[in-house]
Amino acid sequence: MRDFVLCLMAHVHDCWHCGAKDAASLFCRYCNTIQAPTPDYYEFFDLPRRLALDPEDLKNRYYTLSRLLHPDRYTRRSEQERRFSLEASSILNDAYRVLRDPIQRAEYVLREEGFPVGDQRNKDVPPELLEEVFELNMALDELRSGDLEVLPQLELFRRNFLDMLARIDEGLEELFRRHDAAEGDERRKILAEIRSTLNRRRYISNLVQEVDRQLAARNA
Amino acid sequence: MAYSDKVLDHYNNPRNVGSLDKNDPNVGTGLVGAPECGDVMKLQIKVNPETGIIEDAKFKTFGCGSAIASSSLATELIKGKTIDEAMQLKNTVIVNELSLPPVKIHCSVLAEDAIKAAIEDYKRKAAVHSTAAQSA
Ligand code: FES
Ligand SMILES: [Zn+2]
Repeated sequence: MRDFVLCLMAHVHDCWHCGAKDAASLFCRYCNTIQAPTPDYYEFFDLPRRLALDPEDLKNRYYTLSRLLHPDRYTRRSEQERRFSLEASSILNDAYRVLRDPIQRAEYVLREEGFPVGDQRNKDVPPELLEEVFELNMALDELRSGDLEVLPQLELFRRNFLDMLARIDEGLEELFRRHDAAEGDERRKILAEIRSTLNRRRYISNLVQEVDRQLAARNA
Repeated sequence: MAYSDKVLDHYNNPRNVGSLDKNDPNVGTGLVGAPECGDVMKLQIKVNPETGIIEDAKFKTFGCGSAIASSSLATELIKGKTIDEAMQLKNTVIVNELSLPPVKIHCSVLAEDAIKAAIEDYKRKAAVHSTAAQSA
């Protein structure tokens, strides 16, 4: 039981400077000295682990922390404090870049929860897209052999894929809300669903890039 | 990696490239994709409904040389066979015939899957057709 509590409160530590117990977050709440920063992006921003985040709130937290971590504030501080502030600044930037983007945010949470996301090279065609992928390849083949009559068709494919992406993004928002409201097994089920949605999304956005690349090569 | 002569032969002179009318009730279409590489393959068969013999087969593959060679060979192998015989065709036959290396085995699996999918599509259409004929 004790281990369990300790592990839950892993980021609660004694202040290295004044020795206060439960100094908690980035700055000691008794002496206000900077502490060793946590590498966990949510903890770093002192946010609950939700997938639906308010971008304004996140931005405010980011600016506040940037100000507090500004190097000018540390020029006359100890070696230790300077080191912590540098570490914290770099975590701050990574954390903000990842959390502000809904896709990267979801991928981050998935990884942290032990759901590795398919890598960039994930090529598994979603079954319901086989037909379209095949037709797209046909059209690209014709484009390469110089047939410009397929251009309107390619444009149509492109629009179609962009529509799919828009619908996927709406679906993701809904999944995020369900994830945040759920617990335990239910939450993990939704995470699995989010992962397959993200893989599908990546596959489709690769298709769009492929069309763009071929069209650009054509125009070059 | 070097391709075997047989692969090169099929790759340079693929047999039966093209398509059949997928709305023809005697035509079965199999469309499959390989998760390993993203390659896609379409294989179609035209079956004589009286004898069950595959009278024609066509394919179009977007993928590596081995996948193109596998599907090309597959169409040759199943032409003239009954659909039941074709259903028994194993990818290992293709592997041996083309001397495919281990990393290219999935290309032959893709061809086997495409044949099965085409036959299943044909059977599905034939079943719909016969019930429609009966109720007519
Ligand atoms: S490499 Fe995937 S089908 Fe050949
Ligand atoms: Zn302190």
